[in-house]
Amino acid sequence: MIEPLISLQFLGSNGIYRPGDELHAEYQIDAVEADELQAVELSVLWFTEGKGDEDLAVHYFERRVPADADEHDLRRLHRFKTILPNSPLSYTGEILKIRWCGRVRIFLRRGKELFFDQPFELRAPADDSNHKGGAA
Amino acid sequence: MAPRFRFLGKKRGERRTGSRIVGSVGEAIFFGLLFLLGAIALTALVSAEIINPAASIYRPGFGFWLAVTVLSSSVFIGGAGVILTVLRVGVSAERRSAIVQRAADLDLIQDALPSQKDYPAIPREANLVNSPGVNLAYRLPVFKSSAWKLPAMTVLALVATAFAVALLVISFESWFFGEPEWVLMLFAVPYIICSVWTVNYIVRTVWVNSRIGPTCVEISDLPLRPGHEYAIFLSQGGRISLAGLQMLLVCEEESTYSQGTDIRTETKVVYEEPVFERGSILIEPGIPLEMRESLLIPADAMHSFQSNHNSLRWKLVVAGKPESRPKFVRNFPIVVYPNVNGH
Repeated sequence: MIEPLISLQFLGSNGIYRPGDELHAEYQIDAVEADELQAVELSVLWFTEGKGDEDLAVHYFERRVPADADEHDLRRLHRFKTILPNSPLSYTGEILKIRWCGRVRIFLRRGKELFFDQPFELRAPADDSNHKGGAA
Repeated sequence: MAPRFRFLGKKRGERRTGSRIVGSVGEAIFFGLLFLLGAIALTALVSAEIINPAASIYRPGFGFWLAVTVLSSSVFIGGAGVILTVLRVGVSAERRSAIVQRAADLDLIQDALPSQKDYPAIPREANLVNSPGVNLAYRLPVFKSSAWKLPAMTVLALVATAFAVALLVISFESWFFGEPEWVLMLFAVPYIICSVWTVNYIVRTVWVNSRIGPTCVEISDLPLRPGHEYAIFLSQGGRISLAGLQMLLVCEEESTYSQGTDIRTETKVVYEEPVFERGSILIEPGIPLEMRESLLIPADAMHSFQSNHNSLRWKLVVAGKPESRPKFVRNFPIVVYPNVNGH
């Protein structure tokens, strides 16, 4: 059986944002029958990586069910936008990393779930170096 | 002028006239002796019963268990007394009272609030800005990172001393009865070394704490932002000669993780730069050392961060090295905010 294809794309950006920027994006789902899709969740979130247990916080979230979509088809291209917060900024430390991403999670019949992450960076104004080890 | 040492003092409520240090040392010696005598007598009593159970005077009976209870009480009271005395060193009655009052006034709802809405995942700065300074805008709160060390060392000293005393008493008894337990004597050596080392550490630390007065750090502005420069004022009181004194700007990452059933925490210093350094300083009573310096937050510094299992913390560390004594360290947490448009 072919796995459903999930695509998420940031519009008008190279994947680098500043605090207060508006993030425009669109997502689409393919290779699956419309009636197979029970729900789709979209999140813009940050999470931690590294030595410690993972922490995660959602900045923007929307959940759509077939009743919310045109012709009850959740596969169709869907756009969204959100204003990004002041913090936390993306960070690559020694035992701690902070990552931002857009995540689309789909819920299929028989309880199956799939998700796709599209990473992006939230950087301080006029900072193209990325933060490393407390200070670059 | 009041004499430096008085044999008699007056008690005025919780307050006493006379030297607090002399009182504390006397208290520690009293409880330490009680602990030692109790440990020696208890060990002698129990070991004699184990080594020579036939001796009629040591046959277990009501008297034996009463003696064990009384001697155990001496060990417990002596040990607890030493720990409490050490815990009280350097903490005034006013400060203890203020801590109790603050705990009583703690607003649990306020404490449960999430991080600031405008700056998610950055620790709140309420405790930083609620204390105005005398010379600069804000006085930074102090956090003693090694506050747990002294009580832990005291417990270790008591345990090591108890084991050392017990093993020595049994060894000497066996030697006295003509059957020396050489292995037991050898076994006591590490405990004796540990006991001497920890007692030496406690004495040195208490000495340093009694000589070093309050450290006060004030800052010209808050919150701190990368690339900005701030004025810093340091005041160090006490009665001590320092080989060196420095202030460091430190950033550390801290991660908490589960390993099996254990919860472990790892800390990594990722940035450490001196704000200033001074050599050979003499601090006299009533004349605190005062310095005004500038603090530059690196332009590419990561902001402070706090989540459930991970954090990134900035702090100012004041470290002094008394001549021929262990160094003292005082930490002043600060919060660095990210630069955003318009700041």
